[in-house]
Formats: sequence, structure tokens, C-alpha cells
Amino acid sequence: MEQLLIKIGQNFFLIFGVIALGGATTMIFAKNAVHSVMGFLLSMLAVAGCYLSFGAEFMGVAQLLVYAGGIVVLFLFVVMLVELSKAKEKGLFQRQTPFALALVLAGAVAFVGVFWKTLFGASAREALTLAPGLVAQGEKLGNAQMVSRGLFAEYLLPFEILSVILLVALVGAVVLAKAERV
Amino acid sequence: MPAMNQVLLISFLLFSVGVAGVLIRRNALIILMCAELMLNAANINLIAFARHSGTVAGQAFALMVMGLAAAEVAIGLAIVVALYRKKNSISVDEINLLKG
Repeated sequence: MEQLLIKIGQNFFLIFGVIALGGATTMIFAKNAVHSVMGFLLSMLAVAGCYLSFGAEFMGVAQLLVYAGGIVVLFLFVVMLVELSKAKEKGLFQRQTPFALALVLAGAVAFVGVFWKTLFGASAREALTLAPGLVAQGEKLGNAQMVSRGLFAEYLLPFEILSVILLVALVGAVVLAKAERV
Repeated sequence: MPAMNQVLLISFLLFSVGVAGVLIRRNALIILMCAELMLNAANINLIAFARHSGTVAGQAFALMVMGLAAAEVAIGLAIVVALYRKKNSISVDEINLLKG
């Protein structure tokens, strides 16, 4: 039992990654758009688990709040707002579906082929470890504090630009979605 | 900690699924969701390598990618709603307003 738990703990990332892949596959192949959104939700929750397995607690919680809490609800809202019965009659998938899937599969095979040594060689099996100099600092500060140092000290300008982008997107969304006559 | 090859492989596969979704679906909403999925696959790499290099830059930029993704969703959904008002459909095959 203990062995099993240790094994699960070691493969935390792999388990969540496979769950995320399952959710994503459900998302692109589901016939019902609501099921697609549910697959997306599962995928986003699993990606949050992946972030936790990297020791990035702040990013994991932000992922839960932003994606599972905000974006999925927005998507669900629009899916239910838009009537999709017409789309069903005309077919859910494009005509080029088999070619597109074959292309993506070929791309995946090419990726694994090119990076075979990188992916499965001896050097690739070493774990992603924290750099030794930063272990002490990381333990002292905690993840959220480290991220906030990065955001508000080192990368303040990109952060401010991002806030302007969000404002523009907000105004743009209101203008786009507004009815024609005021 | 997960090994590097696991991280690269999983994030590449997630990205591939996103690309496949964009290529095969007709529904504009699902195409938007696939774009989000691709951004998340990139985020996994950013955070994993932030851990690897010991700097906080990867996590900070992953947070910025997340903010950009939120802006993208807001605009994308507004466009979808506007299109549905205009064309009564959100199938990308029927959106050819700019065709000469």
C-alpha cells in the first residue's frame, strides 16, 4: 500500500497529464457542445494538478480560479446562448478531417523521431530539480511571494502592459457584443 | 519531481490535440477552446522550466499568458455572439463576409 502511494506520488504529473489529454480528446470529438465544454473543464483541472506537481502552488490556484471558475462558465454561457441545432444538421467536422488528423499524427511522429534521444535518452530521465542556489530562498519566501517579486519588481512593465491589454479587451468585448441599435 | 521527457511529451501531445481540434471542428466556440488548450500546453512548459532554471521568470510569464488568454476569450466570445446575431450561425464554414 505504501509502495503504491509512493509510486503515485512520483508519477503525479504523468497521471494528471493523461487526464488532461483525455479531457482534451473528449473536447474535440464530443458531438454535443456542452460535453465539449465539460471535457475542457476536466482538462483545465488536470493542468492545474500538473502545475501543483511542479511546486507552483500559486499558478495552480490561479489556473483553477481563472479557467475552471471564469472561462469555462463564460464558454458554457455562450454555448447555451447560441442555438446549435442547425450546426448538427450540417455535420460537426470539416471535410478535411481525415487529412488533418493524419497531418497532426505525422507531426507527432516526426517530433518524437527528431527528439528521440532528447526524450528517451539517459539524460532526459533526470528530474526537473530546483537549482541549488534557490532552494533556500524558495523555502524562505514561498511560491506566491516569489511570483509576486517577479511580477512587481523584475517584470513590472510587461505586467502593466498586460493590464492595459485587459482593459482594451474589456471595452472591445462590450462594443462587439452590443446590439446594433443603441 | 517529474522527469523532463514526461513534461515535454505531455505538453506536446496537448498542443497536438489543440491543433487537431482547430483543424477538424466547424464550431467556432470549440475552435476557441482549442486555442486555449494550446496556450495551456505552452504554460506547462513555462512553469516546468521555471522550476528547472530556478528563476521566477517562467511563472511570471505563465501568469501573463493566462491574462492574455482571458482577454482573448473575452474578445473571441464577443465576436461569436456578434456573428450569431448577424448570420444566425457560428459555423466557421458560413463565415465568408470578407470573400470578394
